[in-house]
Amino acid sequence: MLLQQLVNGLTLGAVYTLVALSFSLVMGILSVLNIAIGELFMLGGYLGFAIIARGLPLPLAMAVAMLGACVVAVIIQKIAYEPLRDAPLITPMLSTLGFSIILQNVVTNVWGSDPLQLPSEMFDGDFQIGPVRIGVMQIVVIGVTIILVGAVAYLVQRTPAGRALRAIAENRDVARLLGVSVSKTTFLAFAISGLLAGAAGVLISLHYAAITPYIGVDIGLKAIAVMVIGGTTRVWGALLAGPLIGIAEVLTIAYGGSQIRDLVVYGLMILILLLRPQGLLGGARSDVGQRV
Amino acid sequence: MLKVRGLEVFYGPIRAVRGIDLDIEAGEIIALIGANGAGKTTTVRAIAGLTPYKGSISYDGKTLPPNSAELNLRAGLAMVPEGRGILGRMTVEDNLNMGTYCRKDHAAAARDIAEMFERFPILKERRQSLANLLSGGEQQMLAIARALLSRPRLLLLDEPSLGLAPKTTTAVFELISSLRRDGLTVLLVEQKARQTLKIADRAYLLETGRVVMSGPAQDLANDSLMSQAFLGGATAL
Repeated sequence: MLLQQLVNGLTLGAVYTLVALSFSLVMGILSVLNIAIGELFMLGGYLGFAIIARGLPLPLAMAVAMLGACVVAVIIQKIAYEPLRDAPLITPMLSTLGFSIILQNVVTNVWGSDPLQLPSEMFDGDFQIGPVRIGVMQIVVIGVTIILVGAVAYLVQRTPAGRALRAIAENRDVARLLGVSVSKTTFLAFAISGLLAGAAGVLISLHYAAITPYIGVDIGLKAIAVMVIGGTTRVWGALLAGPLIGIAEVLTIAYGGSQIRDLVVYGLMILILLLRPQGLLGGARSDVGQRV
Repeated sequence: MLKVRGLEVFYGPIRAVRGIDLDIEAGEIIALIGANGAGKTTTVRAIAGLTPYKGSISYDGKTLPPNSAELNLRAGLAMVPEGRGILGRMTVEDNLNMGTYCRKDHAAAARDIAEMFERFPILKERRQSLANLLSGGEQQMLAIARALLSRPRLLLLDEPSLGLAPKTTTAVFELISSLRRDGLTVLLVEQKARQTLKIADRAYLLETGRVVMSGPAQDLANDSLMSQAFLGGATAL
């Protein structure tokens, strides 16, 4: 039973990890919380859902969702961030909040406010490994997450574009002196962030076999909690905090009931921050530099 | 090579630089000296393209638009900022890779990095170390090596001796002299006027955002006013 819940928690945590990485990439470059990422995630879920519900293959659904969320992320960058880049940090944050409400409204008007559900026979196979039953859907969610995290890690750590992202996150002036374009790198951060959010949206719609226009708020807030728990100065903290929160949530539902789920998750966040304000993988408390 | 005319830089209502003119010819080491708050760093940041300014800065006859550091680097103008500006959470090797970021000739860039490792063996030895674990002198070597990897023709150095031990400072000044021998033009911002004037061809003395003295470095070193104010009262050279 416990092992089964751990697998379920890892599946949910994988989605949290992707959305938290999406938040972190933008936050690392700009120190701005792009609140609309929760709704990009939701939009990705609906786009993927629309493809899957028509019986088209999952890879196509992933591609459309990721591309759609990526395009909207870049639009958000151009409209909600770029004109306000010299304003106080709270200003672009509020403009992304405005975008998130608009996105939610658009989706509600297109797909309605009631939850959409996948046919129950989709992705319903499973494998029995000892006492643990692992669904095809769970393998897809965890597998896609590992591939995407690996791809982002490769890009950030091994490519010139990734080095530019890290350079700007650490010291913008020095990065400029080395020839890094702030606007191109910001574009890249928003685009990758959108790709990850879109993919996570499809995965969560598979996980729940349903989606609502309001899922972005719920998952988005949890992803922010994951980002904070992982460490506000270390983007890869999400790899630890995502599964941790996913497992905590699933175990709470299994053994305590869903009515105390958020109490436990956010209580855990507050507890960790009281014990380690810099987060699990954060450096010294004074370390407020690089996040990427 | 570089002409600065009527340079003014404002920080809000404060005029930090008040109409500076500078000329740098190819192959020279030009020193920009002065006390804290004289406007040296602000001037060099404006030239590098990190700060908006009024006036004009032209490089090889072309006007450099304000606040355009990325373009200035591609034009052949590199800067090592005050405090060295190393990327401390990257490895030594990644810092050097960032030095070639704007280059398209990847094979030649890789060869240049290998040459830098030959020139600075300590960097080769510590290529996988995080840059913030290097000593101050090693960080300065890394910062200069990284700047050189963009193949600049004009190198701006802002207080390269800051925080370094005397022996390391001497090594850094020797390195700067060797760069000039290699054909590089250097604008050197320093507070250590005595050592700076020894290696410079010409110098500008700044006070409260203005040039108050300029000329051959030897003349400034022998100037009595300069000597009293910045060289400890003794004849410098």
